[in-house]
Amino acid sequence: MWLHVRLSEVCLFLQAMFILACCFSDMESGPIATSGSVQPNGDRFKIEGRAIVPGVKTQDWISSARVTVEGEEYIGFLGTDGSFVVNDVPSGSYVVEVISPGYKFGAVRVDITSKGKMRARLVNFIKTSEVIRQPYPLQLRSSGPRTYLMKRETWGWTDFLMNPMVMMMVLPLLIIVLLPKVVNTNDPEMRKEMEQSMNMLNPNPELPDVSEFMTKLFSGSKSSSSKAIGGSKASGRPAVKRRWCQNITCTSGLRNYCNWSCHGNYNAIFKKSFFIRLYNCFLSRVFFPSSEIQVCK
Amino acid sequence: MKPPAKMSKPTSLFVIFFSLFVMSEAVFEDQVGKFDWRQQYVGKTLFAHFDSHSQSSKKLFLATDKNIFASFNSRTGELFWRHVDKAGPEGTIDILLLHGQDALMVVGGGRLLRSWDTNMGGLNWEAVLDTGSFQAACFVAMQDTVKHVAVLKKAAISLHYLTNGHQKWVENLPDSDTVQYQAVYSGGEEEVYVLGVVPNSHLTIIAYSLEDGEIIKQRSVEAPWLSSVESSCVVVGHGVLMCVDTATLALYALPIQSLDLEVSPGFQPVLVSSQPHPARSPISEFFLQLGPDHHVLLQLNADGYTIAPLRDFQPAFLVSFSTTGEKTVAAVMTPKNETVKKKKNVASCMWSYSSDVFPPQLYVHAFLKKDDSVGYRVLVQTQDHALTFIQQPGRVVWTREEALADVVTMEMVDLPLTGTQAELEGEFGKKADGLFPMVLKRLSSQVILLQAWLAHLWKLFYEARKPHGQVKNEVTIETLSRDEFNLQKMMVMVTASGKLFGIDSKSGSILWKHYLENVQPNAVFKLIVQRTTAHFPHPPQCTLLIKDKDTGLASLHVFNPIFGRKSHIAPPALPRPILQSLLLPVIDQDYAKVLLLVDDQYKVTAFPSTKNVLQQLQEMASSIFFYLIRSDQGNLSGFRLRKDLSTERIWEVVLPTEVQKIVAVNGKRPNEHVHSQGRVMGDRSVLYKYLNPNLLAVVTESTDAHPERAFVGVFLVDGVTGRIIHEAVQRKARGPVHFVHSENWVVYEYWNTKSRRNEFSVLELFEGTELYNSTVFSSLDRPHLPQVLQQTYIFPSPITTMEATLTEKGITSRHLLVGLPSGAILSLPKMFLDPRRPEVVTEHSREENLIPYAPEMPIRTEWFINYNQTVARVKGIYTAPSGLESTCLVVAYGLDIYQTRVYPSKQFDVLKDDYDYVLISSVLFALFFATMISKRLAQVKLLNRAWR
Repeated sequence: MWLHVRLSEVCLFLQAMFILACCFSDMESGPIATSGSVQPNGDRFKIEGRAIVPGVKTQDWISSARVTVEGEEYIGFLGTDGSFVVNDVPSGSYVVEVISPGYKFGAVRVDITSKGKMRARLVNFIKTSEVIRQPYPLQLRSSGPRTYLMKRETWGWTDFLMNPMVMMMVLPLLIIVLLPKVVNTNDPEMRKEMEQSMNMLNPNPELPDVSEFMTKLFSGSKSSSSKAIGGSKASGRPAVKRRWCQNITCTSGLRNYCNWSCHGNYNAIFKKSFFIRLYNCFLSRVFFPSSEIQVCK
Repeated sequence: MKPPAKMSKPTSLFVIFFSLFVMSEAVFEDQVGKFDWRQQYVGKTLFAHFDSHSQSSKKLFLATDKNIFASFNSRTGELFWRHVDKAGPEGTIDILLLHGQDALMVVGGGRLLRSWDTNMGGLNWEAVLDTGSFQAACFVAMQDTVKHVAVLKKAAISLHYLTNGHQKWVENLPDSDTVQYQAVYSGGEEEVYVLGVVPNSHLTIIAYSLEDGEIIKQRSVEAPWLSSVESSCVVVGHGVLMCVDTATLALYALPIQSLDLEVSPGFQPVLVSSQPHPARSPISEFFLQLGPDHHVLLQLNADGYTIAPLRDFQPAFLVSFSTTGEKTVAAVMTPKNETVKKKKNVASCMWSYSSDVFPPQLYVHAFLKKDDSVGYRVLVQTQDHALTFIQQPGRVVWTREEALADVVTMEMVDLPLTGTQAELEGEFGKKADGLFPMVLKRLSSQVILLQAWLAHLWKLFYEARKPHGQVKNEVTIETLSRDEFNLQKMMVMVTASGKLFGIDSKSGSILWKHYLENVQPNAVFKLIVQRTTAHFPHPPQCTLLIKDKDTGLASLHVFNPIFGRKSHIAPPALPRPILQSLLLPVIDQDYAKVLLLVDDQYKVTAFPSTKNVLQQLQEMASSIFFYLIRSDQGNLSGFRLRKDLSTERIWEVVLPTEVQKIVAVNGKRPNEHVHSQGRVMGDRSVLYKYLNPNLLAVVTESTDAHPERAFVGVFLVDGVTGRIIHEAVQRKARGPVHFVHSENWVVYEYWNTKSRRNEFSVLELFEGTELYNSTVFSSLDRPHLPQVLQQTYIFPSPITTMEATLTEKGITSRHLLVGLPSGAILSLPKMFLDPRRPEVVTEHSREENLIPYAPEMPIRTEWFINYNQTVARVKGIYTAPSGLESTCLVVAYGLDIYQTRVYPSKQFDVLKDDYDYVLISSVLFALFFATMISKRLAQVKLLNRAWR
């Protein structure tokens, strides 16, 4: 029994050794021997490959492109079929790149041993010894045209309508308009119920109402007309207020306004101004379309 | 500092977030070409060929001294394409031959043979040649078709197929150690002739078989008078070698014949002949140059033995042949005008050019017109590197200023104010003289403004009525004036050839040029703006210091940067080599800053050196310090000025040359402003910057180039006291080191030999949380060394040059402008190169807006300020502040010149150019009407309620 276990261990060990050996031998045979890469003048070699821009004729891009090896250390030019050869390169490790102002190409690291064996691998500047093989002779395929320019943010009706802010505004509006038609407001029970729900929404009766404030502002003396909903109401629920506040996102354009309304005692003033705030947010989206969205704290 | 290998996921997310945040830096689609321009150059022409492949072709092929092979549109002078090879001797173009659609080139002193498809601009093939220095090359034809090219090297001749570059045969030349083989010739027969010479002894002619490279014939001709085949022998007519004896002026054909011609004393006669087609023998006419301005057209008679003079040209500087069909044209250039002489009947075209640029090269292209007469096009390359293209009646079609391919240094100078602008400026400058006059002045200037505006409107209206094509905004020197935000400036560019240019930064048009003669090719230049345009009655003044690199002898050229005219102010004579120049903030009574020049005896010359200046210098002498670098001795020393304009050495730093050599020394830019003294940290305390205006950054490289032992050192030295403030050594690193020194930071880039990658390192100096002396900085009274922070990042590309943006007041955040070998100019926010980037994100670092550390620096194509307008071989980037704090003017120069503006913190001080006026006004109006309508509705409702 003991022997058996021991044997299996040995077996395992041997197996592990074998695998390791395999790994090493693979490492050894790493660079592929490519015959013909050795050049007449001794220890100088050539890097060969081909660059392709899918869907574009070669004559449209090769005249402005070139192949650089390690910056501008060695330079090659592209042939009429997109192939290239960089001659006179001594052994070493180089980053080969096809540079074209119009098209993106990935860089490849090419290792050349002193005997002229070549291998290509992905460039990794952080883990420099990592080897992810690439085909050699190099096959460089463009990943598409380069994007240098930014598109301007344009203002379109669809963007506007699909904006969540607008959606949030339109839906309550619909409800406000449609609800009286669906619910019979003349029913006293219903009215009572609604009044109750209104009371819940309107917690602090002492402070002036914003709609009142606004009407005062606009119409001057005619303030007495609407002493609206603010009348005799039950006390509020600050927890709800805070949550509102935190939930509202708005753009930086009105950041100050938000901060002001979120931090100060003015919470109460704006207790019913949720929609107004939404509206403001929407406005600021319109006026400052490019500013980044921030969450009010 | 070693960047950690791993990057945690939240960190990378943060980086992505921040890179998105900064992304708005990019150029917008509609901004392309709006305020940026690029000019492409190729350099001085070495070889030029007209495309004679098809009759209507407008292509022109040039090979230049900048190792460029380019194709031009001969109608407009614009580039079709251009191939930029490696700079230096490895990319030099030895010869350019054109046959049909193929252009053949020998590159790098006989290293490579290239064949280009001139139609597509692509490479047909490239063949590696055997080692050996290149001598000559020619096409070899067989039965009227050109199939091979022969390349002659010092010790071997090889024949290559034109179709694929494969070598047909290669043969070693006999006795190549004694015989100098200099020419190869093929006349369409089955033989290739190689001409060699043993100076002052004999001439060797070897004929090789085209088929297998066997030597068919070998002959040696006694020629004790001959020293070089290249300049004094040509093949004329049916295989007759014509040589000129420089001593006795005999023309040696075979047999020898003497002519009665006089040669200028001390002049080596030169022969010029032409072989129009490689399959045929050269024409029998040839030129003999007898003096610098004397040419004779001669003809070898049909018998092959006698020579008849056809015509004598004196004065004539340059001659050239051109053939079309059966007709051959000889072009002769005479001083001040140019004559084109057609064989038999003479047609001339007059074309005048400014006299002082003696043209060294002339290329003529003759073509058959529809009526079978011969037309000509002429390409002239003048000594100031201007390339001019002339058509038959002497009309200059285009001129290219190829000197701009090698800009050495430049400055941007403000344009002068117009009368109205000066009036307005004057209002703020003058002292107050009572309330009432001030009001009057204000009103009058408002009236002037109104007038100007009305005039502008009228002009707009007037021009709108004209057809669109006619409206031209030509910029001329007379109409130049400063614009509202000082965005348009005069770019003064100094080129290596000694030609100065004044270029309008808005349009890129050359407004003036001035060619300095007698500038040595190895001269170094320094351009100094002594007086800006701000001192109105005095013209602006620039001084160019031209110094011979070998002797150190210098001269000054003083000129007006706006008009390019040489100033009447006589510069001082500088008999001794100049070591250092410094511009003092001291101004003389004419508002010109004082330039001090230190010679090799440490004596100081002041320019201007009026009494006033000398007196000021005497007063200030004890506070004027300067430094000298002797990189060959590894010596850095500081001096102080004495009252008698002599100097005393006050400190010396020696960096032993056996270990390391000084590569570069850089102070800060004098026109740089730093707005904030410190940085507010997350806990609301302030970290004060160490802003020493006298700080020098000295970069050294190890002399040991072994990758394990190589290092790069950065020393921060106080230029007044010589105190080494900080010393940073980057092990396993080598140059080339590019660095920027500004504010309180130094950013440098080097090559990491161990990991084989480029790395950026940033050093930032801080005083700490308290300032030692907040009012005045003195190098002599600074007891505490600054705290130095450093961080290193991987940069995924090599770089060619680096510069930092510069703005008027220094409020705008800084960006680094990095020139990449691909020709792109990357605008990298300094935010990414901040040694305080934390590895672990904390509340404080978030508060400070610090980007979490990531080892690899991102390169986004959106950050390329020049989008696809690449600048080949970027050599320098010049940044200048504009009148707008948000805007920095950028000029990148190298082979090309690219000018643009950058907004490192976006355009915070002007409305963006995509500002939507329509939308905002329509919303305003809509709101206004909505209010009106709702008011009305409310009124109606109220009324209704009242009635109820």
